[in-house]
Amino acid sequence: MAKSFNIALAGNPNAGKTTLFNYLTGARQHVGNYPGVTVEKKEGICQHGGRELRVTDLPGTYSLTAYSVEELVARNFLVNEKPDVVIDIVDASNLERNLYLTCQFMELGVPLIIALNMIDVAQHRGIEVDTEKLSSLLGVPVVPLVARSGKGVNLLLDTVLLVIDEKKSYPPLRLSYGDDLDQVLDSMVPLIEQGKLLTDTYPARWTGLKILENDDQILDRAMKADSTLADILVQRSDEVTSHLQRTVDTYPEAMIADHRYGFIKSILRQGVISQRFDADRLYTSDRIDKIVTNRFLGPLIMGAILYGLYSFTFNYSSLPVDWLASFFGFLGDIVNRVLPDGPIKSMLVSGVIGGVGGVLGFVPIIMFMFLGIAVLEDSGYLARVAFMMDRIFRMFGLHGSSVMPFIVSGGIAGGCAVPGVMATRTLRSPKERIATLLTVPFMNCGAKLPIIALLIGAFFSAHQAQYMFLTTVVSWSVALLTAKFLRMTVLRGESTPFVMELPPYRFPTFKGLFIHTWERTWQYIKKAGTVVLAISILLWAMMTYPGLPADKSAQFERQRQEVMAAYAPHGVAAGQEKERPGQVAEPPELAARLQVIDNMEAQAALRNSLAGRMGIALEPLSRFAGFDWRTNIALVGGFAAKEVIVSTLGTSYSLGSVDVEHTASLQDRLARDKHWNPIVALAALAFIMFYAPCFVTVVCIARESGSWKWAIFSMVFNTFLAYSLAVAIYQTGRALGLAP
Amino acid sequence: MTKNHPGQVCTHCGGKHQSCVLREKAPDAEDVLPLSRACGYGRVKVCRISGDRRLCARMADLGILPGREMELLCAAAGGHNCMVRINGGTISLDSLTTANILVSPV
Repeated sequence: MAKSFNIALAGNPNAGKTTLFNYLTGARQHVGNYPGVTVEKKEGICQHGGRELRVTDLPGTYSLTAYSVEELVARNFLVNEKPDVVIDIVDASNLERNLYLTCQFMELGVPLIIALNMIDVAQHRGIEVDTEKLSSLLGVPVVPLVARSGKGVNLLLDTVLLVIDEKKSYPPLRLSYGDDLDQVLDSMVPLIEQGKLLTDTYPARWTGLKILENDDQILDRAMKADSTLADILVQRSDEVTSHLQRTVDTYPEAMIADHRYGFIKSILRQGVISQRFDADRLYTSDRIDKIVTNRFLGPLIMGAILYGLYSFTFNYSSLPVDWLASFFGFLGDIVNRVLPDGPIKSMLVSGVIGGVGGVLGFVPIIMFMFLGIAVLEDSGYLARVAFMMDRIFRMFGLHGSSVMPFIVSGGIAGGCAVPGVMATRTLRSPKERIATLLTVPFMNCGAKLPIIALLIGAFFSAHQAQYMFLTTVVSWSVALLTAKFLRMTVLRGESTPFVMELPPYRFPTFKGLFIHTWERTWQYIKKAGTVVLAISILLWAMMTYPGLPADKSAQFERQRQEVMAAYAPHGVAAGQEKERPGQVAEPPELAARLQVIDNMEAQAALRNSLAGRMGIALEPLSRFAGFDWRTNIALVGGFAAKEVIVSTLGTSYSLGSVDVEHTASLQDRLARDKHWNPIVALAALAFIMFYAPCFVTVVCIARESGSWKWAIFSMVFNTFLAYSLAVAIYQTGRALGLAP
Repeated sequence: MTKNHPGQVCTHCGGKHQSCVLREKAPDAEDVLPLSRACGYGRVKVCRISGDRRLCARMADLGILPGREMELLCAAAGGHNCMVRINGGTISLDSLTTANILVSPV
């Protein structure tokens, strides 16, 4: 088998790395995580000139320091995996900043090719780049290209093969960082080389440079490798740092960065760039920003765009959601008809088809939501949303980028926490990301709306709209306060400074949007689908077993016989009960009476099931919040999916299966029930809004956080919080004489 | 050999690391203010980066160094995040960061 070559795509964020990666690999991609971190690792295969190239899309970084996980991941990949070629994607319209990273690749001495992307944008801005001159001055191949259209990609791949075949070495670039630092560095290098300090991994001068830059990771590794030598090097670094602080009020890192920029400027000034317009003029993107991020207009525009995304996601996905629901309903009907009654049929219909169908039912929503987010992300607007919302979210220990997951999860009532949890991927800080994904389930998702509407309709019908609005306000308040609490306790840590480069506005490409949307949707189908099947069967079993004892079943059967015997003159003979459901001739009164018996049997079966027993066992606790065993069963069932709360309440109140769209009968029943009153309803509302997320969300939390620890935490913490709130409401109501 | 561009040693930043208030043609002291208090749009010159070592290094990576000029696209006043254009890129900075960047109008 022919050898494949490893190619790494590196570069600044927004330089067009992912666009080039998508162009090179198409759908032949594998998305995973780098070991131990939640940074996405994208790999793909590309064939060129009869050779296989394994392409890795490294996270976008501005530098190769140890400030962020992305930077560490990128540089660890370069030094540990030693790719055959590193393609550095450089934005031709923003050369000075992009070449800063190039400069660091050259300091590290990696086999480099510069892919000068977006030359069309640069030309539009009046910037002409002399690629040959740039290549000769830097000493690395430079290939101009437009990754969006694929122009120049073939030449890039030819150059990749050329570099591979040349097999030449790439000595690290030696820059001057000023006399003070150069002297220290020159004294450090022989020591590092003699002591063989990390020399198997890094060039000696680079190690010295990182020690001067106070790089945590390198300092740590050096200490572990040879603490005596590392101490000597650190001491020299400290001395020069103090000197620079005293004399020029700066740190070595700033001095080094300044010299790197100086090197870049000196290259560019040798005729590499010719500019037809003023270099610092404001471009269209800047002009758009002046309106779109305006203090007053900005939030209005943002509100309109987010509402548009929300409407797009939930309105346009409703049709395919209905199709999928009909398909799984149809599948259930077929199994119902083909298989004989029994546990296998029940498990297939309620557990497998119901459970997995329920999860796959989310797929259109997920797909539309990710398409919408991809449009906002690729156009550059998502970064502006984060920019505007950061100030508010920061007060609660979150980040500007947290706003999108909140909106998608039901920030405007009716979203879904599953895509909301997945949308937290746009957050870079692990702690802010976990705080966001733990609190987004507090939003009022579409599945909670039927039960919220039912309780408000039953007990607060005079002020329905106000109460509905209040639930949205309360959900936001609780989510943000909880985030603040988590960031002050289990997720304590400094907020990530909101320092990021805002990409210029661009038109997204169809290919990019498609790949972006599909890869995330497929991940959901593949990953959530497997665990979900097991959990749906478990939940089905809990609500089905143990079945009613034989004597109890026989008792209900006798009742049916008696009722049917009483109606025998009307044409229904005893012994025909098995065919009852299909009989047209059955008088309405008889059907109603039989239905009552069926419902009572279903209630008894539910009460006897494991979930029912749990409901009863929980009553000593739940009564402090005003809930009886029947409510408890519905709440336990709500863990499967929040929609189940309404249907389970229907069963446990002997109303049979209640359609979530038509809840009037249950609403009346609850309003008249002696266990229910407005205070219990408020307590139930609080509990339902904030208790454990549905299990699909829990699975997603585990996947996205990379640990079941946070998934379990979300179940336990949310349920405890919800219970505390419900108890506080109920007990306060009782103390005020508002509840019996 | 050390090279700051091929064949030459760069001396471009001699003295620039001194705070710009100390240099020739320095702006009046009252003209120097934190970026977080810059109200209008327009060009400003970076005079000094205060704050911890990490912040200084991060700013340096982004090219926000003493002596550099940048365009303020969205003012930071009132505790808001601000947006600046520097080295051809647009960078957003939060209020804690902008409080540590001393600038003077150009």
